Amino acid sequence: MRKTLLSIFVVFLIGLSGCASKQASTVESSKKVVVWHWLTDRQDTFLELAKMYKEKTGVDVVFELYAPSDIYSQKVRAAAQTDTLPDIYGILAEKKDFSSFIKAGHVANLTSYMEQNNNEWKDAFFIKALEVNIFESGNEFGVTPGIYGAPLDVMNIQMLYNKSLFKKAGLDPENPPATWEEFLEAGNKLKAAGIRGMVSGWGEIWLIGCFAYDYAFNIMGEDKVIATLRGDVPYTDPDWVTVFRLFEDMRDNNLLASGIVTMVNKVAEQAFANERAAFGFNGSWGVNVYYGMNPNLDYGVMLPPAYSSKYPMRVLGGPGGSFMVNNKSSNREKAIEFLRWFTSKNQQAYLAKETRNLPANKESLSVIPPILSHFADDMDGTYHWNNLPVVEKPQVTEMFSKGIQAIIIGEKTPEEVASEVQALKERL
Amino acid sequence: MENPIYYRVKKIFSSMFLQMFLVGVAATCIFPLLWMFGSSLKTQSTVFSDMSLFPKNPHWENYYIAWTKGEFGVYFFNSVFYTAVTVVCIVIFTSMAAYGISRLRMPGKNIIFYAFLAAMMIPIPGAFVALYAILINLGFINPGTGVDLLDNVIKRLGYILPQINQGLSLGIFMLKTFFDKIPKDLEDSARIDGCGKFGVYWHIALPLAKPAIAVIVIINVLYVWNEYLLAMLILTDKSLMPLQRGLMVFQGAHMTQYPLLMSGITITVIPIILVYLFMQRQIITGITAGMAKG
Repeated sequence: MRKTLLSIFVVFLIGLSGCASKQASTVESSKKVVVWHWLTDRQDTFLELAKMYKEKTGVDVVFELYAPSDIYSQKVRAAAQTDTLPDIYGILAEKKDFSSFIKAGHVANLTSYMEQNNNEWKDAFFIKALEVNIFESGNEFGVTPGIYGAPLDVMNIQMLYNKSLFKKAGLDPENPPATWEEFLEAGNKLKAAGIRGMVSGWGEIWLIGCFAYDYAFNIMGEDKVIATLRGDVPYTDPDWVTVFRLFEDMRDNNLLASGIVTMVNKVAEQAFANERAAFGFNGSWGVNVYYGMNPNLDYGVMLPPAYSSKYPMRVLGGPGGSFMVNNKSSNREKAIEFLRWFTSKNQQAYLAKETRNLPANKESLSVIPPILSHFADDMDGTYHWNNLPVVEKPQVTEMFSKGIQAIIIGEKTPEEVASEVQALKERL
Repeated sequence: MENPIYYRVKKIFSSMFLQMFLVGVAATCIFPLLWMFGSSLKTQSTVFSDMSLFPKNPHWENYYIAWTKGEFGVYFFNSVFYTAVTVVCIVIFTSMAAYGISRLRMPGKNIIFYAFLAAMMIPIPGAFVALYAILINLGFINPGTGVDLLDNVIKRLGYILPQINQGLSLGIFMLKTFFDKIPKDLEDSARIDGCGKFGVYWHIALPLAKPAIAVIVIINVLYVWNEYLLAMLILTDKSLMPLQRGLMVFQGAHMTQYPLLMSGITITVIPIILVYLFMQRQIITGITAGMAKG
């Protein structure tokens, strides 16, 4: 009995100490730059880049992956409260929460580093990517003005079209529809060839709202959109009714795949990747998704075909993830140097090539895969709801998108939806 | 009075209906496992286009890739270790505590019992930040002793202790109800035979509570084996992570490698199925006994 107990105890001790790691623990080591992140699909590439940096500078960088993003966020919050944040990390939160990290002294102000050598570091980024990390003077959060993070990537949402299916339907794969009329005509040709039209995650209401806003910008311009959000222009305005009517047009011209109003984006991505639809409406992240599902997929990227020539067609876009430097870290300067190197042209191009995401560094566009380049071409003209001076109330946004779903399934007319959305806005 | 043939036919039909219903329920339970296994043998492109349950060209190499890419070797050992230690500790501590609360005379024992019951209402994820702060202050997250071996021991304990704590409440609750039902005469006769308090617990109470212990074991094995969030919060060293960390490698924010993920899940599910198969008799007895008492 005693021998058995002793053996169990020995096994227990071996287990406790087993697999002693050569990898230094994270926060306590001052010789290494420790990075916490949540980007599972980029871990291997991050490790490669860390290896390159070690060869170049002799500095060890340890990337520690904590996913999914919600548990990552909890870990970062817990570490902030106990002053155990790593040297570099990302904050996945609204600007208000981000500001509380800054005010607690957890985020280094990178402005002086960004502006060195005539804004060399700052100007390398798409301004849209940097915007989210900038606090202007007089900001509502009371944060000292400055740049508090370096963006890793950007994204925008555009239309995709399958070149093989275009050929089958007698459409020109090198000249996708550029106007609304051409788009509707393409829908009928696809129908005649027995090919499904467009798939998108319009069951997730934000994507359907995004498509509608793209056209709102095209039909009435940014000022009128903002005026609507402010309440100065009603949703019953003829321009908004026109926006709603576009969905009726698409439905009547066979452009929408059946079930699109309940489709989640993962299903839409599968359908497009497996050539079961000619058009997709998806973000630049889809490039990597499609590659994973069907590496031979022959497709192109296009802006949603313009309805009006009065205003430019704009698409939703903005920053992806960003990294911040821990202001209290004893490795602060080393961390900033690494982040500068990490976000420079060659490293961003490498990251884009390996992970097929749109880089935040615009200088790297010349060396990234062509399909990503197409997405990047329209980055400067993007808009983002969070960067508009006024934000619509969530209840109105929800009714707006659900109203469009109702139009697509023929439950309501564009006029009815416009009136209902306006009535709700006035009530709130 | 009705014809006996009527009763026989009725019995046959009702039994047939019941059997069909049970076969249907069993099929709904087994189908996801079969689908998971079938998907684990497909490729990333065929997983969405090949709708067969078992592919014509199975890719068995997915298991090798999942095992190596997910670094399952280290994680598997860790999970087995964490599960074994946590469950053994839970069984020992809960049985002792439940026996003490049920059979021993001590002031305030009901308050202690209700305090444990109240603790059942607090899920670990709800206390993450507080738990992290406590473990940091106790030196379980960054021990910094300078000795790797000792650091690892402390970090592993930092992961095991909260899980033992999590399992105590339910275990004590279940075992106390079992110990309450043990006739006092049994204890008295054990005492006459020379057993002390610990002897009665060890030789009489514990063997009688086997069905309840089996239920506690399976519940906690499932919980600890599938635990992931606490590991992500507490552990920083990859080599100390449990098996679920390996699965995460195959899931990106936008992209999931389904065949590899399914291979990984199949690997992680096998030990759980084995535990259930070995203990199913006790588990069923424990659950039905608990229901009868409840």
